Amino acid sequence: MKILVACLLLAAPALARPVANDQQLQQALRQAAPGETIEILPGHYLGPLVLDRPVHLLGRNWPVIDGLGQGTVITVNAPDCSIEGLNIRNSGSEPELDHAGITLNRGRTEVKNNRLENVLFGVFVARADDSLVSGNEISSQLKYDLGRRGDSVRVWYSKRVKVVNNYAHDARDLVAWYSSELVMRGNRVRGGRYGLHFMYCDGATVEGNILQNTSVGIYTMYSQGLKLRFNRVSGCRGASGYGLGFKDAGDVTVSDNLLCDNRAGIFVDSTPLKPDSYARFHNNVVAYNDIGLSLFPSVRGAQFKGNRFYENQEQVSLEGGGLQQGNDFRGNYWSDYQGCDLDGDGRGDLPYKCERLFERLADHNPALRLFTQTLLQEALDSAARLFPLVSPQPKLEDSAPLIEVGVLPQPEPQPVDHAHWLWLSALVGFSLGAARLPLMSRIERKSALSAILRIQNLNKKFGANQVLKDLCLEVQPGRALALWGPNGAGKTTVIRCLLDLVGFQGEIQIGPYCCRRQGRRARGLIGYVPQELNFHDDLGVLETMEFYAALREADPKSIAPLLGQVGLSEVGQRKVGELSGGMRQRLALGLALLGDPPLLVLDEPTSNLDAQARDGFLSLLQELRNQGKSLLFTTHRREEVVRLADQVALLQAGSPATVCQPSALEAHTLKILLKGDQLDTAVQVLHRDGFSPARNGTGVYVEVPRDAKAAPIQSLFSAGIPVWDFEI
Amino acid sequence: MKVWNIARKEAQDARRNRWYWFYTGAFALLSLALAGTALLGSGFGGLAGFGRTSASMINLVLLVIPLMGLTSGSLSLTGERERGTLAYLLAQPISRAEIFWGKFLGQVLSLGASLVLGFGLSGLLLGRAGGAQQWQMYAVLLALSLLLALVSLGLGFCVGSLCRRSSAALGASLVVWLGLAFFADMILMGLAGSHLLPVAGLFHCSLANPVQLFRLSALLSLRANLDMLGPVGVYATRTYQHWTLPALLSGLALWAVLPALFSYSIYRKRSYLG
Repeated sequence: MKILVACLLLAAPALARPVANDQQLQQALRQAAPGETIEILPGHYLGPLVLDRPVHLLGRNWPVIDGLGQGTVITVNAPDCSIEGLNIRNSGSEPELDHAGITLNRGRTEVKNNRLENVLFGVFVARADDSLVSGNEISSQLKYDLGRRGDSVRVWYSKRVKVVNNYAHDARDLVAWYSSELVMRGNRVRGGRYGLHFMYCDGATVEGNILQNTSVGIYTMYSQGLKLRFNRVSGCRGASGYGLGFKDAGDVTVSDNLLCDNRAGIFVDSTPLKPDSYARFHNNVVAYNDIGLSLFPSVRGAQFKGNRFYENQEQVSLEGGGLQQGNDFRGNYWSDYQGCDLDGDGRGDLPYKCERLFERLADHNPALRLFTQTLLQEALDSAARLFPLVSPQPKLEDSAPLIEVGVLPQPEPQPVDHAHWLWLSALVGFSLGAARLPLMSRIERKSALSAILRIQNLNKKFGANQVLKDLCLEVQPGRALALWGPNGAGKTTVIRCLLDLVGFQGEIQIGPYCCRRQGRRARGLIGYVPQELNFHDDLGVLETMEFYAALREADPKSIAPLLGQVGLSEVGQRKVGELSGGMRQRLALGLALLGDPPLLVLDEPTSNLDAQARDGFLSLLQELRNQGKSLLFTTHRREEVVRLADQVALLQAGSPATVCQPSALEAHTLKILLKGDQLDTAVQVLHRDGFSPARNGTGVYVEVPRDAKAAPIQSLFSAGIPVWDFEI
Repeated sequence: MKVWNIARKEAQDARRNRWYWFYTGAFALLSLALAGTALLGSGFGGLAGFGRTSASMINLVLLVIPLMGLTSGSLSLTGERERGTLAYLLAQPISRAEIFWGKFLGQVLSLGASLVLGFGLSGLLLGRAGGAQQWQMYAVLLALSLLLALVSLGLGFCVGSLCRRSSAALGASLVVWLGLAFFADMILMGLAGSHLLPVAGLFHCSLANPVQLFRLSALLSLRANLDMLGPVGVYATRTYQHWTLPALLSGLALWAVLPALFSYSIYRKRSYLG
């Protein structure tokens, strides 16, 4: 009979009946002689078609057979038919009615090189022995979830069916039930649930299939005598993402398969099923899976030989914990084997032991897999290695592990979801953009003031210590004001307040700008020479000037003249850290002059200088003052005040300041004679009022400024202490 | 403009720091190892994939980046304050915001340059060895690493703004690093191991840790699922489906922004006079 069919097919061109429309097609189906070929010319034809006699449908240039969403598109009720070259679309959607693109109800039918699109089931082989499904491209109805879609090929109660070289994508399963001696060869399945699924299928040969990104790869249940060879399964994900799965199967030969990037490369449960059956896993490559081999502890009698377990996150997992026994692991390659091969026989001299504490814990409590490949896992495994007491019992031992892994072809690269890029770009951009939020410009308030610096009611406390109290000062343009007072009087604090380095109460205005609200603008009018000269020592002098010039928005061309003005032209390339104290002081002045600020604020500017350098520095400041700069400076040296200042603010911690002429600092010693029993009280009172008294047996000595010589006497009178006499 | 000047100075300072080059070198070596062993699959006949070594390398990357970010971020403020240069900087006509964000940007650029250098070297290796098709995976990893760098820098700046001394900041940043990389996992593992934390709770608790967020994002980006993490990974993928990665990245972005803003608010209010 087969020979007859073959002869008829060979003669098909001679017997072909061309059809070009629905009417002709239906008529041809009704009238065709057995074995006749109906040549369907390009066009759009309506289904359903029913083949009640052995005919051959041959499409030319992909004629479309459209089921219009009703029932099965082509039903074959006669044996020895063939369907080839058709584009079959739009079956019905009822899974209970097995709506399909093609349903074969009789045997020896060939379905070859068709395209089946938007059909619930692709090819449904129902009790159709010796049929062939070959070279078809099949996809299901994408509008449904995966579980609701149909199978690309379903083989049902059929023997010796061959499913070869098909390409199935976006369908549910490629599945065979209650069928024997099947051949599944060279199929390619992408997406879907089960790549290939066998239930009660004995004697099946499954070879050379490529399965990608299915939920499960090849899964075999309740079947005997299967041969699985040269299949490639990758990307099986989900809770049951097994590359190869075996449950209650027996006499299974699994060899030369490549199982890559699955949740579990091989899953074995109750296989081999009976003590006298076998399960042989030979020469498979199990690589880059989360779990290489997942075994139920109940598995006995399986043989693993010549397999290569390469770079799996967990090489072997025992489901639910426990121990595996009675299986033969000998002569496999394990990428985490740390032994050696001194005798050069290609086998490790020490057995491979699969033992990791973390894996053991995770086998007992799978939720702990969250911590896979974390520092914690490394720590646990290291601890187990160091302290054998907590080391787990090995899951398995391979007494002769392979040393060489071998060579394999490279699977196709996995696609990357480009949508991730948009997210990443957006998020990185957002993160960087957010960093700019606080840089929003501030509203400025202009005010016209004649004084370059005006301080009103400035108060500053450090804890309970009131350092500045109701301080009021003014510096007029081109004038110099010295801050004078003992240590702790608040001189440096005033400077820090006007630079907005510390919080304060009161009002400070520099030029038209409020120090607190427009601090940046206000500081733009200040050239600051700090007491402690802390610059970036690793920068050169010129680099330092350039850096601060950029910050002060000063003209870079002004740097060279400024360096000349402060006498540092010759050391422009020298590192700041290599400068002497005097040079650093001059550098500080040079920096302060960047941007030509109208007010120079100097905090003990000569404290680090020797007498000669100090004289030179003061001359420089005098020259600047003469050029119209305003100066505010602190010092402990009277001669500096006299030489530079127009006015002096006398500061005393916790007391309002007194402003006087520099000449007032020329001190006199006032001797006040008192009763002996009132000497101590007088010293306390004078201390309280900011004097520095010293005593002998008859009176106290107080240093007083020239224009306030009677102040201590007034203090004593106010405290009710009578003064007998005094002398200067 | 001033922010940029500060940033350039900060990056310059970083380049002059030997620790920076030590970190950069270590990171470049790790990246080369990652490319060589994981992405090229050079050890196995050209078979490429994501295996134990790849995961270990990513693990190392995610340990090194936070360490770099935390230490350099925390020392950026405290170091400058200890040298006394911060007070002088603050005395210039520049706002605190400009100084802070300039320093932050400078650190981001330094750390980013370090990462790009490391990834660039291994990218060259990839290209020369014919693994150019892996560039997308590689670029995803780089982008995520940059995001993690932002997170760790933000945390580092937090530490730096809260500590007065460099030594304290360094110690605190190491404690934070250990906490993120180790102790947080240990606590969660203890809770899960004693069945006090169900799968859903374990997943959601782990999201509080930016290192875990990075790890989950990297795994999800590179592998398209989290199955390798067992029931927790399956739960995450099933519950949030295609929103899983956006959710993780959003969490990471929040971690990148919030600590930086918090540290800025602290820094703005503190005195920096040494």
